Amino acid sequence: MSDPKITAKRSDHRLPERFVPRIDYDLCRVCKRCINECSYQALEFKGSKVVSAGGCVACGRCIAVCPANCIEIRPVPPQFAPHGNWSERSRRSILAQASSGGVLLSSCGADDPHPAIFDDLLLDAAQVTNPSIDPLREPVETVTYLGRRPGKLEVCDGKVIIREDDTPLIRMDMPLMFGHISLGSISYNAQKALFMAAKELNIVAGSGEGGLHPDFYQYADRICSEVASGRFGIKPEYLKGVAAVEIKIGQGAKPGHGGHLPGEKVTTMISETRMIPRGTDALSPYPHHDIYSIEDLAQLISVLKESTEYRLPVGVKIAAVHNVGAIASGLVRAGADFLTVDGFKGGTGAAPRVIRDHAGLPVEVAIAAVDRRLTQEGLRNRVTVCAGGGIRSSADMIKALALGADVVMVSTAAMIAMGCRVCQQCHRGLCSWGIATQRDDLTDRLDPEVAATRIVRLFQAWNEELKEVLGAMGIDAVESLVGNRDRLRYRGPNPKIAEVMNVKHIGEGWG
Amino acid sequence: MNRQVSDPGRTDRQGMPVRTENYTASRPPEWQGQLGGCGIASCISLNGDLICGDRIARMLTIMEERENGLGAGYACYGLFPQRKEQYCLQFFFDDEDGKCNAEEFMSGRLDILHDEKVFTRERSTIAPPYPIVWRYFAEVPERRSWKGDLDLGEEDYLVELVQHINGNVEKAFCVSSGKDMAVFKGNGYSYEIADFYDLPRYSGTMWLSHSRFPTNSPAWWAGAHPLSLLDWGVCHNGEITSYGVNRKLVEMNGYRCTVLTDTEVVTYLWDLMVRRNRLPVEVAAFAMAPSTFHDIALMPPAERRLAEWLRITYREAFLNGPFSIIVGRSQPETTLIALADRKKLRPMIAGLSPDGSVAYCASEESAIRIVEPEARTWAPEAGNPFIAVTGKGVLRRGIEPSFQGVRM
Repeated sequence: MSDPKITAKRSDHRLPERFVPRIDYDLCRVCKRCINECSYQALEFKGSKVVSAGGCVACGRCIAVCPANCIEIRPVPPQFAPHGNWSERSRRSILAQASSGGVLLSSCGADDPHPAIFDDLLLDAAQVTNPSIDPLREPVETVTYLGRRPGKLEVCDGKVIIREDDTPLIRMDMPLMFGHISLGSISYNAQKALFMAAKELNIVAGSGEGGLHPDFYQYADRICSEVASGRFGIKPEYLKGVAAVEIKIGQGAKPGHGGHLPGEKVTTMISETRMIPRGTDALSPYPHHDIYSIEDLAQLISVLKESTEYRLPVGVKIAAVHNVGAIASGLVRAGADFLTVDGFKGGTGAAPRVIRDHAGLPVEVAIAAVDRRLTQEGLRNRVTVCAGGGIRSSADMIKALALGADVVMVSTAAMIAMGCRVCQQCHRGLCSWGIATQRDDLTDRLDPEVAATRIVRLFQAWNEELKEVLGAMGIDAVESLVGNRDRLRYRGPNPKIAEVMNVKHIGEGWG
Repeated sequence: MNRQVSDPGRTDRQGMPVRTENYTASRPPEWQGQLGGCGIASCISLNGDLICGDRIARMLTIMEERENGLGAGYACYGLFPQRKEQYCLQFFFDDEDGKCNAEEFMSGRLDILHDEKVFTRERSTIAPPYPIVWRYFAEVPERRSWKGDLDLGEEDYLVELVQHINGNVEKAFCVSSGKDMAVFKGNGYSYEIADFYDLPRYSGTMWLSHSRFPTNSPAWWAGAHPLSLLDWGVCHNGEITSYGVNRKLVEMNGYRCTVLTDTEVVTYLWDLMVRRNRLPVEVAAFAMAPSTFHDIALMPPAERRLAEWLRITYREAFLNGPFSIIVGRSQPETTLIALADRKKLRPMIAGLSPDGSVAYCASEESAIRIVEPEARTWAPEAGNPFIAVTGKGVLRRGIEPSFQGVRM
């Protein structure tokens, strides 16, 4: 029984710091910029020196702004008696929960060192029997379409009939999209940077579930509007001028959960955009309360198609779960023009750690399962498969394509390009980089034009790397890589994973 | 399993030893497909005169650097004028059991009107075992008792039967199943296979041929080219780097891959797009070797729209990587199609006899010159199909705009 008289203060155990900023006093000019910039108040001025005040999260802001380059952040060595089973992490979690009695929250993707299956996959390359292609000398195409495809073209008296109105599609210059990051979880400037980058790159950016700020209508033709269980900010402008509409059923970081935006982040701007009262927690329900079954989902898809006059692709996003193949098949049969599978390592602005770290399916396996199931059912060439969740590099992207994704969804990497250091404090709303916060003094730190430029450069670089790899494989258009698992080999510890993904083991060739 | 250790001394042209396992109808157990370079050659009579098998054998054999004795084959079209409305199912059997198995399966499912042994002769240079080669002339019965009433058309029904036989009936492999055509192929050099079947005894209006320079996968008679389904015959030089993607499309449309090579998939793609989806040949060829989006953007609006929708819809039919293919069909008319990949990474040359009566396509000019020294030759462009039809002439030289003559 939790005794309310025992206050948090009295019962708290002081825990060792995890990180400590160390200042080289020979170089420090005592300008105190680091103190002003540290939104976590981990630095203070004492006597004549800047000193650590505790609570450093290693966001790295102080390092970036220090004019004397005299700060380094040191991880504190293990302070707990070593134990093979009771890791420091598990003991810290227990101590924190014994103090708070609450669900442990965290953000970003699952941070346990689960090995990424991506790292166990090796790509193929062309040698002798087929020539490799130099993308600087010859065209290698990365144009990608998102939406429903007709499966075949009708021919009448030798004339090919094209019914483009039946299958609205969005054309993108590369097989990449920004995932759904809502206004609220990130700042106005951060979202603006994503939308600007999407426009510049000619790709699509997810709106997140937080509605669309009127200033962003100018980017609408590159925005995929998300309809989540909270139905925040859904109004005609949110659905009509946009590139696509996506129903969010789940998110890889927290399968089975809805969104959670703490009231502190619901500023006037957020409340207007989401159409909810200011300062209230924006909690989107776990399920859509009008979708308790696949036929309910089919109805919502129809409603959205009807209300957008069949001009937009309507998709469905699900968290990768163990039965993802069958669920994906149901989504296509329910009318989804595209589906998005969000893997176990997907990011989040706030999620219970127990879900984030323990529920879901790695995206690699999920992509392969969806691709295989849809192929078996003859549906794969009707629908676009988007997938993401823990895509760290162009190599991950390329492997995701080869496993069967048409479009790879990336969020965290884009935020890192803006400045994020993945300190996993988004849920606290104190982001010192002005990304995952609504505090005006912090959001002002992010220049959307600079941030957009950095994202554009990152994605252009990844796309160049994609072309390099395609060329090396002797492939000159990205669609010939999608689902081409012949060009992958598995080298990891568990051949069963390779079998499940239908990827051959290293050393297995053909011919 | 008809597997014997053959002549241990057999070597390829370089004197390198070759695998001694030799399979006829049954697929080698460790078979995972094959790769390698090849020579291809073809000729079509444009006025309907018959061309003797000796002619195609000379065309193929001259390109000796393109083969190393591990597979060659020929397909002849217009060779059964007396039975041109009947399907000719030509089989390899490992032994008599295979023949019994196939006949038992076909009994009641096809009306066999005539069957005969295909002439073959032993050659001291081709190591046994040889397959029993047999052909059946058949009609599809009105009542098609196969997997319930699927309401299949005649041709789809035959596709089902042939694919079932090749996947499930032991010791038997149906190497061709079209009207007015047959495939003659096996494990050996082009001249050995020509001699094995005594090709000069056959004459037809069109011939396709293929010789193989593979790596050292086990020899499998049924896995040699041309690969055929219904009246489609495909000879292929190249390695399709998008095989995994292309295979998905044909499997989604009900084809079962039994040979596990890219050429097999190419065969099914032609059947799917042209016979089943009824796309014009040049339109299907565009889907297989499409222009870049950059070039598509330069097309006139109607062509551009068609090109974009072909790329979107038939994305999985896009054959990436180096290839040149020669494709034949007898229905509705004897047609020769030649196509190289969109970067033309494998050779393809076309030619026409001085009197305009015979058209040729081949990997090398030598193949044309050896039989037609005065031929007019030209190089079809990358991704641009050559199309010739008996009785109509050369419809496309492979240098025209993509959709010239296509109704839009």
